[in-house]
Amino acid sequence: MALTLTCPVCGKRNGYEFRYGGEDKGPRPAEAGLTPRAWCDYVHMNKCTAGVQKEWWFHRDGCGSWFTTWRDTTNNLEVEQPEASK
Amino acid sequence: MGEIKRESPVRFTASPTKSEVRDNWTVALEYDEEGQGPWLVDLAHKTRWDLQDNKVGEQRPGDLTVPSAPGDCTFANNTLVNRMNRTQASIYHLGAAAPAMPDFSGYTDVTESTVFLALFGPNAFFIAEKLASLDFLDPAKTAPFLYQGPFCHVPCQIVTLEKAADGAGGFLLTCSRGYGDSMVHAILEAGVEFGLRPAGENCFNTWAQGLQG
Repeated sequence: MALTLTCPVCGKRNGYEFRYGGEDKGPRPAEAGLTPRAWCDYVHMNKCTAGVQKEWWFHRDGCGSWFTTWRDTTNNLEVEQPEASK
Repeated sequence: MGEIKRESPVRFTASPTKSEVRDNWTVALEYDEEGQGPWLVDLAHKTRWDLQDNKVGEQRPGDLTVPSAPGDCTFANNTLVNRMNRTQASIYHLGAAAPAMPDFSGYTDVTESTVFLALFGPNAFFIAEKLASLDFLDPAKTAPFLYQGPFCHVPCQIVTLEKAADGAGGFLLTCSRGYGDSMVHAILEAGVEFGLRPAGENCFNTWAQGLQG
């Protein structure tokens, strides 16, 4: 089954139209008291979840929007936002 | 200073039988054996504007309203206004001459930076289906509507102006200028089995006028 993603502007589209933008890691950490180690972890370290995770995607071949969505990495399908994260 | 010459980014192998110079563009009006359609028309000389503003919905290009929902279009008085996203719209002037650009910093004239083609007539969407995975005949959509997506794997703006369940109708397509020749080559190749022919501006005008009543 090919990946499809739901762009907030264009609607559901073929996954090949999009560029992956990485896991959503939450807001950028505050500068005050930020250690190099913590910054390095924020930039480079990923959770690599086997299951549902929140991700950034870019509609490269379409409207050019950046957006977040939820994807199950075990079957590569876009899913609804899990209740636990609401 | 010498006269400038404005060049279309696309070339057809056929030569027009009737053409004229308009605003420094050489405009093909008619080709030999244009046939009964479908037709492919180069509209590079038609003026296009990009409009960006955080209150884009309050602008009135050509006295038309900017649609509120992305993907919606307004078409009247030979002007087509396409809402692209929250802050952006594109405006195509399909008449012989475009009005002066409004004195507002959000407008940019993008006429010479993009390819502008019209593909219309019988079976037009069967040709499109060979080149794009976009659902032009989606029954939930009413023409005119805008798609921003890949056509021949090239990011394009595509405005469906007319559609029928039998694959007839037509659309306008813009993409970056550098893809012009490849785009025309791919479309004409895909259209061979349907009898696709290059046509001049007169053929397009007849179709566009009919759409506006």
